[in-house]
Amino acid sequence: MSGLPWFIGKRILQAIVTLFILITLLFFMFRILPGDPTTMFVDAALPVEAREAVLAQFGLDKPLHEQYWLYMKNFIQGDFGMSFTSREPVMDVIGHYILPTVFLMGSTILLAVIVAIVLGALTAWYRGTKFEAIVVSIALFFRSAPIFWIGMVALALLSHRLNLFPIGGMYDPGKDTSSFFGTYFNLEFIHHLLLPSIVGAAYYVANPMLVMRSSMIEIMEDDFIELSRAKGLKERHVIFRHAVRNSLLPVVTEIALLVGFAIGGQVLLEVVFNWPGIGRLIVDSIQRNDYPVAQATFFLMGVIVIFLNLVSDILYGYLDPRVSYK
Amino acid sequence: MEGNRLVKLLLKDKLGLIGVALMIFFIALAVFAPLIITHDPQTQNYSSDGKLLNMAPPSSEHILGTTKMGRDVFSQVVAGTRVALVVGFTCALMVTVIGTVIALLAGYFGGWVDDFLMRATDIIYGIPFLPFVMIMVAVLGPSIWNIIIAIVLIMWRTTTRVIRSEVLSIKQRTFIQAAKLNGASSLRIVFRHVAPNVIPLALVFGSLAMGQAIVTEASISFLGYGDPMLISWGKILYDAYIAHAITEAWWWVIPPGLAITLLVMSGFFVSRSLEEILNPRLRR
Amino acid sequence: MTNSLLEIKNLRTCYKSLDGLVWAVDDVSFTIEPGETLGLVGESGCGKTTIIKSIMRLLPRGAFSSGEISLKGTNLLDLSIPEMRKVRWDKISIISQSAMNALDPVYKVGDQIGEAIRTHTTATKTDAWKRAEELFALVGIDKARLNEYPHQFSGGMRQRAIIAMALALNPDVIVADEPTTALDVVVQAQILKRIRDLQKKMNSSMIMVTHDISVVAETCQKVVVMYAGKVVESGSVKDVFENPYHPYTMGLKNAFPNIKGDKFDLISIPGYPPDLADPPKGCRFADRCPFASDICFVEQPASEEVKVGHMVACHHIDSIDEIREQAKKHDTWAKLDKELA
Repeated sequence: MSGLPWFIGKRILQAIVTLFILITLLFFMFRILPGDPTTMFVDAALPVEAREAVLAQFGLDKPLHEQYWLYMKNFIQGDFGMSFTSREPVMDVIGHYILPTVFLMGSTILLAVIVAIVLGALTAWYRGTKFEAIVVSIALFFRSAPIFWIGMVALALLSHRLNLFPIGGMYDPGKDTSSFFGTYFNLEFIHHLLLPSIVGAAYYVANPMLVMRSSMIEIMEDDFIELSRAKGLKERHVIFRHAVRNSLLPVVTEIALLVGFAIGGQVLLEVVFNWPGIGRLIVDSIQRNDYPVAQATFFLMGVIVIFLNLVSDILYGYLDPRVSYK
Repeated sequence: MEGNRLVKLLLKDKLGLIGVALMIFFIALAVFAPLIITHDPQTQNYSSDGKLLNMAPPSSEHILGTTKMGRDVFSQVVAGTRVALVVGFTCALMVTVIGTVIALLAGYFGGWVDDFLMRATDIIYGIPFLPFVMIMVAVLGPSIWNIIIAIVLIMWRTTTRVIRSEVLSIKQRTFIQAAKLNGASSLRIVFRHVAPNVIPLALVFGSLAMGQAIVTEASISFLGYGDPMLISWGKILYDAYIAHAITEAWWWVIPPGLAITLLVMSGFFVSRSLEEILNPRLRR
Repeated sequence: MTNSLLEIKNLRTCYKSLDGLVWAVDDVSFTIEPGETLGLVGESGCGKTTIIKSIMRLLPRGAFSSGEISLKGTNLLDLSIPEMRKVRWDKISIISQSAMNALDPVYKVGDQIGEAIRTHTTATKTDAWKRAEELFALVGIDKARLNEYPHQFSGGMRQRAIIAMALALNPDVIVADEPTTALDVVVQAQILKRIRDLQKKMNSSMIMVTHDISVVAETCQKVVVMYAGKVVESGSVKDVFENPYHPYTMGLKNAFPNIKGDKFDLISIPGYPPDLADPPKGCRFADRCPFASDICFVEQPASEEVKVGHMVACHHIDSIDEIREQAKKHDTWAKLDKELA
């Protein structure tokens, strides 16, 4: 069985299985570890009936396998219990924070990938020049520096000193955030989005850039590249239709790795820039011992990673017929 | 590749040399820390007229100034070197060993062993790294060993994937077939014949892992989950962040971050050198 | 003056390398008539691939050629790059050595052939696809396979696909660059036969680049023997094979087995070709030649015509009968092997 549809189907199945295993992992993580597992769900400050209601919902007084079943059911339905701090359903709490993270993470990764591909192709083309050495060194510097430190220094220099960017947050204080369009589709939002995205992109750019570079270097030596020229193709067709197109394949894998890693960076970016996303939420909720929220946020992050891995797997299968057409 | 040739090639690469030099510098800093620090890192310092040296700029007395609580920044940074190196090397070692062994077993034995191990690896890839460490530390407690274990539990995944591909290609080589024909047992082949050939690649990933572990520990400390008994560079930055030192005390913010950057960079340079040596096509 | 299809005159090509300038091709001249197959034979590094790259103007950055490469009267070296692009594939195409890597793995084979066609003609995608189907019929591949990707083809099939692509625009000259090196003997024979048949059908000329002299014997009418960037002997295959003049040519003949002829021990030419960054002053073959004398190390031999169309560059043309006799003996070469060791 070969062909793209089968490939996609297989990968989706794998992703779902991974999701289930993630839930299982979460389940066991909190039970095997020392301490009373009920504290993960039940706020000791709640009145007795409320506590017992939660215990019943999560079956914490029942045998393990029944608990597991209930846990799984709840998670799939998106029911993660109640937040300790706000007494709201966890999903409601998290709901507000998802979009900001999506926007920030999306713009960061997009910026990093575009810059990485362009710089990767250029450093491969101008191999052995000072340009290459400088670009690679700068990229490695940013990659080695902790993302939160780059953020701190960037804020100090560009926001506090030079006033080029706002000092963190997603919007200026006093803004009306009730409407979706009002919040996100305006210049102010973009202004706030810029600095954290640039900092994040600077941090992430090195790996995909280096992969693109070494991929181009290897591809440029391949016979079919020279044959394309022998066929009389224009140079830009040789570079983009054939060289870059083939070089992108390992970069796609690299981007998948990047994404799994970027969730962590996202947490740090949101803390430093005071961005109201799920990264900052998980830090705050752990701090407040609001375990239901922490648990659910972690799970959500896992879902995002698994989903993005799936997308990149499918993209790879689409780009490289050797994988999907056996 | 013999050790001699390796050393010669490493020497020709300037960046690689810088990386090795930096690493030696930091190791020396850590080993000789008690001799190098000017003040006790935890002691709060006061000026001659009894006032707390609150975020005092660098002076001859305090080379890198003081923190909000009057502690000497220079001594803190030097002291932090030990934690960074211990975390870096321990994680690198454990990750490399675990990752390589799993890769060897999966790649060489193939079949259901490979399937099982690689599915496990895929699942680990689905777990977000930093949040996982955060949760582990929140539940288990902020000791440095918990941090190290949490890091290692996830970080082996990249090493395994890459080394497994390498094992798959080594498996086809004739000297392995020859060993099989000679009647060598599988385990013997794996560890005596295949393993030595993946060690260079494992070293490449080991040096990368060191950097990643150090940054992860720094991030955890920056978020406030660091080991409260230890001074780490991340914790220094945490203190600085809480005190809003970004705008006022650059001497508090820059050095620890720079130290992390330089140490991690040295890991990158060394691993890039090793990689260029292993893959001649990347050489000029 | 001449009616030759392709005329190479005094071609010199130079690469820039870490060790300095390397003259990979040094004053090479030969002609090809319409419909003729010319064998370009010699060891690796003798310059035959560089000649091809010079003709197609596909040299790497920093390399350059001088001399004349005239295709139907036009000197290709005078053309601008955009003009040269029009010549590529349309007038001269290549059947490359390793079919393994000659096709782009991420595009369908049909699209790649179509790309060649549509670069040079105004054909639509459908027209180009139809033409590709015809070409596949010529080489004996099912047209449905145009929809597949290169990795789905077997080795021999890929080679045939490459041949089909080379014929796409009915070029005047087809260059076959070591077309059989990567294949086993049986498939080799099939491919050679196919190439010969197709060439006759299309009435193209062909340059057969190879290090295997028996392939030349089988397929070519003319042969040019190269050594270290220079032509040592050239002429009709009949003349050069039956009456070789240059010791290197004789050495080559000795090194390749012939199933049909008498049994004889394979004799290999001892030693290695010279470093072209610092070539020897005299004849380049001198230090590997059993018949070299003092003059050979000092002065480069000029190319002389020993018969109409048969050229040789050697100082000892007069002693040819003696040389031919000695060259057949194993000892002649073995003695040199000991000296060189």
